[in-house]
Order: sequence, then structure tokens, then C-alpha cells
Amino acid sequence: MSSDLKNIIEALIFISQDPLTIDRVKAVLEGAPDEEIQAAIDELLQDCEAAGRGIHVVHTGGGYILSTKPDHDRWVRRLLQIERKNKLSSAALETLAGIAYHQPVTQAEISAIRGVDSTYTLKSLLDKKLIKIIGRKKAPGNPLVYRTSERFLQYFGLNSLDELPSEEEIGKILQEEKSSEA
Amino acid sequence: MTEQLPDPLLSADAAIDAAAAAATPAEAPRDGYQVRLEIFEGPLDLLLFLIRKKKIDIHDIPIAAITRDYLDYLDRKTQINLDREAEFLFIAALLIYIKSQMLLPRETDLAEQDDPRQVLVNRLLEYQKIKAAGSILREKEEDQILQWRRNFLPPLPGESELDFEEVSLFDLAESFFLMMKRRSAADTRVIKGRDVSYEVKMKELFGLLHDGRVLDFLAYFETQESLEEALVSFFCLLELVKSRQAVAVQDELFQTIRVWLRKDARRTVAHE
Repeated sequence: MSSDLKNIIEALIFISQDPLTIDRVKAVLEGAPDEEIQAAIDELLQDCEAAGRGIHVVHTGGGYILSTKPDHDRWVRRLLQIERKNKLSSAALETLAGIAYHQPVTQAEISAIRGVDSTYTLKSLLDKKLIKIIGRKKAPGNPLVYRTSERFLQYFGLNSLDELPSEEEIGKILQEEKSSEA
Repeated sequence: MTEQLPDPLLSADAAIDAAAAAATPAEAPRDGYQVRLEIFEGPLDLLLFLIRKKKIDIHDIPIAAITRDYLDYLDRKTQINLDREAEFLFIAALLIYIKSQMLLPRETDLAEQDDPRQVLVNRLLEYQKIKAAGSILREKEEDQILQWRRNFLPPLPGESELDFEEVSLFDLAESFFLMMKRRSAADTRVIKGRDVSYEVKMKELFGLLHDGRVLDFLAYFETQESLEEALVSFFCLLELVKSRQAVAVQDELFQTIRVWLRKDARRTVAHE
């Protein structure tokens, strides 16, 4: 049964366009005990990491999704005729980090944190769907309020905002930067 | 008031040059001024850089010295980009304001939280944190970017035409004039003779676009011999776009426009 369960879940993940949440899996497999489902998923993750596969199941965006393995990047790009995947600009990354830690946040607030007008950067992040507008603030001018999106989590391989770099990780980076310059 | 003197061995200029050499500009610079500023994301970034280079304790910044370095940096600018300049000047004004507050005689010693520098320090610490978090996210991005998922697949050119932003006829015209301007700047000879007909050009364009091939708009016009020929081919292209036989797509403003035939149009061409 348990190997059946694993295969069924693999099929479900294969057919999902967005990360498949464990709740959806449970809803589909009504009656199957939670711990058996979790065990099957864990086993599936292990199977995929083993050699001999071009794709693997990854836990991201709060669910499970199939993706190609990093080693095959250049072949995939060759198929898609893409020279290289665009990375975010440093301004975009800095703005995203600011939003992630301060959300919900307005344009004026994020600009103040960065010391730089962020109107344009916010627009391009909206276009990329990495952030979303969740409403307007009850303040003079009723400015728009922004939050990071589901896609933001997926983009960075995070499952929830709790997985954002912690104070300790940030402290470590700052320490490293300091010592590298000393 | 004890302000430490700037270290003469490590002038701000030398430090900035070192940063300029180390940093790779993220975007294509538009002018000399931009090149310099692109190194720093903003005034706080520059300030943090100066503080680190001088190995200053962020909680005890010698405002006079740092302001001098900061202004030296701004003085190096020849051209002014008002938008960004304002942001840099705002922090310069803040620095000078803080210094003036510190110089004011007071009856009692300042309590820790009344230090006029505190506002700036808080901003710098917060910015520093965001920047570090950004560098961790960058590592994650680099890791994720190598793993392809089906829902992130960009459409192949010509396969799905819906996700591209089609350019308007005005964009086409603008690119055309841009190209003509470039040509008039170049030293060209005029060859007279050969009449170019609309029909011939149309056939030539279809030839170039068959099998779903993608044409680089500007590059194509560069190859046109005369003004007349360029004009005729431009009209052909306008006609193709207008009759919805071809799609014209521009990734970014002032970049080249790529042209390809719509799928159904390709079929009609094949039938002819």
C-alpha cells in the first residue's frame, strides 16, 4: 500500500502546475492516515534525489512540485533557446528583501528604508508578480499597500515567510563582510 | 567633542576607485555619472561603504569626517541626474544637520537615546540588514534559477503569441526614425538606379520570415541600400502588422523589435 501511495502522490505532483499542498493530497486520498502520506512523500523526495533521474520533487512555495535538476540547466536552456535566465537586479532584490521583512508596506515606506525612490522598482516587481497589492492604507493619500506574493516564495525556494533569512544568518553575513574587508 | 581625523592613507577617492574596479555594473550605463552611481544602490549604500572602509563603529560615527568623504564623492560628479542627486543630497543635508546638532552647547550631557546621530544609525542598521538579507536571497535565487518548472516556462517565439507585448505602429515608426538617424550619421554613398517595388519587397520579407523565423527589425533595415528601399520595406512591415499577418515584439524601450509571422498567416503563405 505504501508504495502505491507514493506512486499516486507522484502522479498528483506531476499533474500540478502549482506546488501541490499536503492538504490537497489529503483531500484527494481521503482516509489515508496522515503519517502514511507524509512517509510516502518523504520516500518520494529521497527516491528523486538518488542518481539516475533528470527531475526531482522539491518542497517549495508551501507544496511539492516537479522540477529539473540543476545539473541539466544548460540542456534545458538549449531546448528553450534561452541564453541565460535573467536574474533580479540588485535594486529589485534589495526592495524585495525590504518588503519581505516590513510587509505590509507602502511605496513611501520602502523608499525611506532604502533611501531611494522605489516607484519604478515596485512596478517591475509587480509585473514579475513577485509582489502584490493588498489594498490601500488609511493614511493621507490612501497609498497602496504591498506584500510579497506566493510566487515570491517559489522563486526563492521558500515554503513560508518563516524561512526568510533569520537574524542569525544576517548577522553571520555581516560578520563575514566585516572580516573580509579587515 | 572628539572627532577622529580621516586616515590619510585611505582616502575616500582611493576607496571608491577600488569599489568601482570590483563592482560590475548591473545595468548598461547611460552616461558617466550613472556609471559611478550604479555602484551604489543609493546614498545609504554609499554611506555604509565609507563607514566600512574607514573601519568606523556604526554606533559612533565621526560625522565631520564621514560628511567630508561623502561630499567629496558627490563633488566628483560632473553631470547631474536630478532624481538621484536629490536622494544623495538629502542624506548630505541630514549629515550636516546632525553635525550642527552635535555642536550645539548643552547644559547637561546627552543621554544615549538623545544622540542626534541615532536616527541615521537606525536607518543604516536597518538598511544593512536588508542588504545582507538580499545577498542571502541572491544565493537562493542562483540555486533555484537552475531548476526549471513547467509553470515557469517562457513561451517559445512564435508558439504562444499571447504573452508578448506587441508594439504599436508608433513604436515601429520610432525605431525606424532611430535607424534613419543612425544611417544619416554614418558616411554613406548614394547609389542611384534600381527601383524597388512594394511587391518585390513583400516577397523578400515573406522569404525571410518563412518557417517561423524571427527577424531583427533594426538589423534588417541596416542592410537596406538606399533610403527608398528602406522606406518601402518599412511600409511593407507596417502593412504586415496592420493586416495582422505578422507580430512585432519589443522587449524593452529602444531595443530592437523582433518580427515574425503569425501561425495562421504562415499557413496562408504556404498555400500560395
